[in-house]
Amino acid sequence: MLDPVFLAQTILNGLSVGCIYGLIGIGFCVIYNASGIVNFAQGAFVMMGGMITHVLMQQHLPLIPSALLAIIVVALAGVVIERIVVRPLWDRKATMFVMILATLAAQIVIERLTLMLVGDQPKSIAVFTDLPPIKLAGVAIGYQTLWIMGTSLVLIAALGLFFQKTLVGRAMRACAINREAAALQGIVVSRMLAMSFALSAALGAIAGILVTPTQFTAFNVGTPFAISGFIAAIVGGFGRPFGAFLGGLLLGLAQALAVFGLGSGLKNMAALSVLLIFLFLRPSGILGSAK
Amino acid sequence: MTTAPILEVRGLSARYGEVVALRDAELTMREGEFVAVLGPNGAGKSTLMRSIIGLANATGTVRFRGAALKRDPAAVAAAGIALVPEGRGIFGPMSVAENLQLGAYMIGGRGPDYERRLARVLHLFPRLKERLDQVAGSMSGGEQQMLAVGRALMADPKLILLDEPSLGLAPKVTAEILESLALLNREGLSVLLVEQKAPLALKLAGRAYVVSNGRISAEIDPKEITSHGDLARYYFA
Ligand SMILES: Nc1ncnc2c1ncn2[C@@H]1O[C@H](COP(=O)(O)OP(=O)(O)O)[C@@H](O)[C@H]1O
Ligand SMILES: [Mg+2]
Repeated sequence: MLDPVFLAQTILNGLSVGCIYGLIGIGFCVIYNASGIVNFAQGAFVMMGGMITHVLMQQHLPLIPSALLAIIVVALAGVVIERIVVRPLWDRKATMFVMILATLAAQIVIERLTLMLVGDQPKSIAVFTDLPPIKLAGVAIGYQTLWIMGTSLVLIAALGLFFQKTLVGRAMRACAINREAAALQGIVVSRMLAMSFALSAALGAIAGILVTPTQFTAFNVGTPFAISGFIAAIVGGFGRPFGAFLGGLLLGLAQALAVFGLGSGLKNMAALSVLLIFLFLRPSGILGSAK
Repeated sequence: MTTAPILEVRGLSARYGEVVALRDAELTMREGEFVAVLGPNGAGKSTLMRSIIGLANATGTVRFRGAALKRDPAAVAAAGIALVPEGRGIFGPMSVAENLQLGAYMIGGRGPDYERRLARVLHLFPRLKERLDQVAGSMSGGEQQMLAVGRALMADPKLILLDEPSLGLAPKVTAEILESLALLNREGLSVLLVEQKAPLALKLAGRAYVVSNGRISAEIDPKEITSHGDLARYYFA
């Protein structure tokens, strides 16, 4: 018997985690657009966001400063990865394959360092607003869900403004459209590359901070998040930030519905099915490919 | 009267992998000159432009107003050289206004200087004024070329390089664009124009180089070229 309340609850939860996938997917797009690189260290940023916030809060720092500090540290880590891993290869005109592998290696290094520093036990952050969920027609809407959705929407709007209205945002788009022509305008493409890593890392960190209270974080949560974000980006039409967000929502929804209808073992199958359906039927994604 | 050199190219060579596309190019331009680069398809004209600007894998030296240029397109742009590349390189999905603003990226894309440059470009190409909010890639080829030139002018360069701006355009539009170049040149802008259609370029240029097989094979004085036969002699020398 189909329980409509439970179904609504499932959809809500799916959309909530979908926002997280979407933010991670946007991170993939931002770097890809600036550089053509698929950055598999994206998952490490998500893990670091939650983990650093957890560690700081353990030191009795309140949530907001902990989160802000974590975002800044992760953004800097993004720049460091760009500087010491990506840039040298880029300057040597390494193939895309080599650069993707290098980011994967960076991801593993960060994972192992985290394991050494904080151990393998799962950690969590308290929910941001510790109140019982709001009941709406029987559906429980947790405050963390509101935090996730609200923050995501604000971020999407802010990113939209950044890319559409600011000169730096426009310069980043110009690099995505035609890197050579961008350089001819005096745009220092390598600086845009570093900025795209900072921005993506910050987005990943925010996603990690938002999601950790609803589950947990550990040194190795990065990879599954990276895979989900990567699928979200592909489904959205790789290189289209807004598409990636829609892709994330779709993916979160598909996973939740699969668990609802078919059992929890099928979550990953649902994700990969969404990916395959798009690869076969609409390889350019929801919004069409960026290039 | 001869003015100071603005551009000195010495021993410039470039290769694509094993293929040498440019060999030991030597070229000198003086302030305020209008110089044409002629030559058949595949001769190496674009490679010459890209090597000057730092986009090609080149060796040799390029001096701009006496100072050696770095092989870095953004630094070359900052020094005061603009290239209107072959194929225009406009940002197709962006609006005309955004394209023009990015041309003035180096001054922050705003402010009184920016407004002055924008007014000048829109005065030169009034058609762009009507299309500021249009998506650049949706305009006609001629309008896109005007945008490419206009965007280059937004940087207020001292020297402008143009790589076959007439490619694929109707003669009337080509004439319009070339006339605006002549006007800019009279106002003091140095112009280096790559053009396959030699008669067009020779009408405007004070001097011309011919490139063939990756070498600068001749330097000609347009006044001495009076017939097609004269030109063919240089091309096939
Ligand atoms: N990206 C490239 N890769 C390999 N060969 C190239 C490339 N670009 C140009 N070439 C070769 O270099 C030579 C010069 O090309 P180019 O400078 O474009 O000539 P032009 O502009 O005079 O038509 C040609 O033989 C061309 O095939
Ligand atoms: Mg050419």
